[in-house]
Amino acid sequence: MNKHTKTAILIAPILAVLSFAATDMYQEHQASAKRIFVMQVQDQCDIQAKKCVLKSDQFLLSFSHADGKTIINSTYPLDTATLFIVEADNQASVHPLGMTLTPYYWRANTDLAQRLAIPGNSQKLRIIANIKGGSYIGEFTSTTQ
Amino acid sequence: MENNSSYWQANLRIIATCLVIWFVVSYGFGLLLVEPLNTIRLGGYKLGFWFAQQGSIVTFVALVFWYSYKMNKLDKEHGIEE
Repeated sequence: MNKHTKTAILIAPILAVLSFAATDMYQEHQASAKRIFVMQVQDQCDIQAKKCVLKSDQFLLSFSHADGKTIINSTYPLDTATLFIVEADNQASVHPLGMTLTPYYWRANTDLAQRLAIPGNSQKLRIIANIKGGSYIGEFTSTTQ
Repeated sequence: MENNSSYWQANLRIIATCLVIWFVVSYGFGLLLVEPLNTIRLGGYKLGFWFAQQGSIVTFVALVFWYSYKMNKLDKEHGIEE
C-alpha cells in the first residue's frame, strides 16, 4: 500500500462523515419548515352519531360530541387544535380546543348538539390541527342522519 | 520547477474530480435528486434511497482505489513512483 492509497483511505471516511452530518442538517432544516396538509372527510360526516373522520395519509381526526363538548381524537399527538363553526354568512366562531389528559384527545364547549339536533340538520365546520412541522386543515359539513 | 507545477496541477484535477463525484453521489443522488431517482427501481429498492443508504458508500470506496490508481500513474509519468 503506497502513500496515495493510505491518504485516500484516511480522507474518505472524513468526507463520508461530513456528507452524512451535512445531510442530517439539511433534512432537519427541511423538516422544520412549515407545511400544510389538507384533510378530507372519510365517507360521510355525522358528529352526532360519532361517525366523522377526517384523513390525510396516515393522520386521522375523529370528531364526536357529548355533554355539550365537541371532542376530537387524533392518531398522532397534537400541539394545538382549533375548531371553527361556520355560519351561513361564512363568518366563523372560533373554538380553541383544550387537551384532555393526552395530546391525542382535545375538546371544547360548543353548541353543536343544538345545531345538529334534528335529522337533516347540517353544519359547516373547519379544523386546524397543528403538529410539529405542519398544520392539518380541513373544511367539512356534519349532517345528522 | 515546471515539472513540479504540472504534477501539482494534475494532482489538483484528480482531487477536484473526486470531490465532484463525492458531492454528486452523496448530496446530488442521495438528497437533492432523491425523488426523481426514487421512480427508478434497482433490485427492488428505490434508486434514490439506495444511493443514500449504500450507493454513496460503494462509490466512496471505489473513489479510494480510483484516486490511488490515478496518482500512481501520475507518479510514474513524472518519474517519482515509489
